[in-house]
Amino acid sequence: MLPARSRRPSRRQFVGALGAVAGGAAVSGCSSEPEKDMDTLHVWGGIPAESGPQRLIDRFHEKHPDLTVEYTRYINDDRGNLKLNTALQGGVDIDVFFTYGVPNLTMRVSSGLAADVGDQVRSTPELAMFLDTDDPKALIDGDEITALATTRIPQMVLFNESLRERAGIDLPRQWTFEEYLEVIRALAADGKYGSYVIPDLARIELGPNYRFTPEGDSNFSHPAFQRHLDLSAELIRDGVLYPWSQALARQLEAYQQNNFIAEDFGLWTTAPYSLRFLTDQEEYPHDFTVSAAPVPTTENGDWNTGEYGAFVQINSRSPKQELAWEFSKFWLLEGAQDLISAGYISLLGDVDDEQLLAGILGEDAEQFFDVDSFRRTLFEDEPRMHLDTELTAYTEITQKFEQQRDVCWLLERSPTKAIETVDRNAQALIERFEED
Amino acid sequence: MSTAQTRADGLGAPPDPRGPTARGRRSSGRAPSDPKPIVGWLFIAPNLLGVLAFTFIPLVSVILLSFTEWNLVSGFGGIDFVGLDNFLAVFQDPTFWRSLVITILYAGVAVPLTLVVGLALALALNRDIPARGLLRAAFFVPYIVNIVAIGMTWQMLLDPSAGLVNQFLGVFGLEHLPQWFASSYWALPALILVTIWSQAGYANLIYLSALQDAPTQLYEAARIDGAGRWASFRAITWPSLLPTTVFLLITLFVGISQTFGMIALITNGGPGASTTTLSFYMYQTSFQFYRFGYASAVGLVTFVGIFAIMLLMWRAQRGRALHD
Repeated sequence: MLPARSRRPSRRQFVGALGAVAGGAAVSGCSSEPEKDMDTLHVWGGIPAESGPQRLIDRFHEKHPDLTVEYTRYINDDRGNLKLNTALQGGVDIDVFFTYGVPNLTMRVSSGLAADVGDQVRSTPELAMFLDTDDPKALIDGDEITALATTRIPQMVLFNESLRERAGIDLPRQWTFEEYLEVIRALAADGKYGSYVIPDLARIELGPNYRFTPEGDSNFSHPAFQRHLDLSAELIRDGVLYPWSQALARQLEAYQQNNFIAEDFGLWTTAPYSLRFLTDQEEYPHDFTVSAAPVPTTENGDWNTGEYGAFVQINSRSPKQELAWEFSKFWLLEGAQDLISAGYISLLGDVDDEQLLAGILGEDAEQFFDVDSFRRTLFEDEPRMHLDTELTAYTEITQKFEQQRDVCWLLERSPTKAIETVDRNAQALIERFEED
Repeated sequence: MSTAQTRADGLGAPPDPRGPTARGRRSSGRAPSDPKPIVGWLFIAPNLLGVLAFTFIPLVSVILLSFTEWNLVSGFGGIDFVGLDNFLAVFQDPTFWRSLVITILYAGVAVPLTLVVGLALALALNRDIPARGLLRAAFFVPYIVNIVAIGMTWQMLLDPSAGLVNQFLGVFGLEHLPQWFASSYWALPALILVTIWSQAGYANLIYLSALQDAPTQLYEAARIDGAGRWASFRAITWPSLLPTTVFLLITLFVGISQTFGMIALITNGGPGASTTTLSFYMYQTSFQFYRFGYASAVGLVTFVGIFAIMLLMWRAQRGRALHD
């Protein structure tokens, strides 16, 4: 009698069977890959071409007239990322692609889709910052580097100047969380709310990898998480924060700018990519100016809630590795200016703060913004940003947290019970995924 | 020559009770004068290809994938055979059980209520009332309206503060109005309400066509015997509608328990996980968490569950039909 184990189909047999079934759908002749045009680079990214990438590509063409770069824009949501993943897996001609958000990043890297550019980075002195493991801006695993962040995405607190002046509030330059709470309470009057949500208190205190203890367990039992839920629920109950029931019923998470423009709340925590709404008077007409303040600090931490992002990666199956690296390097070192108007603050590049500011705030900056406050907040304060590198069950844990956050902020569950549930679920997920 | 003689001579086979040509048909599969079978295959080829590509291959793939761990992105080379691990994990997964309870609650309440509303509408619209044709069409329209339009419309109607439904309820001086999709307690009832609204037209249509076939002579006999409306309904209408009811029960149960679009559009499974049904959990597991093997196992377990319930319904109906 055969040992029990040998009666199980081997992985090779199983994959063969699956491949045979899937292959049954394929039309004969599709198996041979079309010959690739070795002088054309295919780049997939999330920024619309007209918001900067096309200018960058045009300049790359000037420098390399023998090459052609074709840019494909994909929407950075579940469907868009699925499209990119399927294209990468299906052998579509993609040489360089951009990844947004760490869950997608890890998945693509762990699946071997991203080429190792460690040697190229080490041989390029201008890219030395990507070798820093204390303040990582790249996905580094030993000598291997598979993703390089192209932009800083600092968060800032935006003030509706009309509402701020009416409430008699001084524009803060450095402030604590307690001062922040006083301000939003003062802004909440006459049918207006103080803010949409408060900045992530736990992130401010704990910085990178804040969901995990140093041992890799769930960190949701840290008091900062419960305090964040607790404070938010209290402020929603008091009418200081925008009602979460409205946010959920109208699915406002992705459209907060509409309510800020409509002056529903006087203060909004967001990132530079949102400023484009404030300069678009046709789609988002408003008659108030906007100023910026840094994210408040606590006595336990002063992390900005923003992060390093928009990672450039090279398809490991691309036959044009050298050209792909040439283009990626150009994007990192020389493309900064072209991407400013998309709200992208490059990690590298020969763009000074004034140019960045002018690019981000647009031509009529003075009409819409208190420019000095943005200069201070985005550049002079040097906000400390994070890159999460501990990513066990990242997406699943995020979902569990958001589910409990929702019922807590709907005032249907106590913050204590909500955070206990998140902590228990997160620990279970960590254990389950670590077993795998 | 008689048949008996032929058999005695050993020169022929006994006659086939189905007729002289039956044996020939069975052995060749066609009459000698039939065109070549390839023509038949060509006629059904488009449908056959469709079934093969969109039903058979996905079905077999899902069965095979359920024994693997796979994230799609890693390609066929990244498929890991894990045996029954996914199925064991499914039965130990609290989210699966919670989603199962929500699915049973959702379909278990929505299906009977859809039948009741559909039947009530059908009984009303089967009578000689003004604008009957227009009303029949009006009640059927929600069934064919695009799911996106349904989602957006009901989101507006059930908005907790500005929605027409709560404004209407407010007219009666009601306090503590339902928060509908903005409450983990009310989201499922709200979803059931929208489902009934969108499916009742279908039930109404099927019931109406069944009512057209109701035996009029029985009603006349019942009227002569002095039976009232309720007695007629109980003794004649309902028994004659029983097979239709079972058909609707099964098709609605299968359809509603697999509802995905409306949940994805309106609630995204929330608030909390209050509207995460099994079909939505499958979507989350595969297309948000990229755990296709596990999602396939959830799908298969769900399929087996629904199939078992369907069989039970069918068997219950068969027994009842014989009894009647």
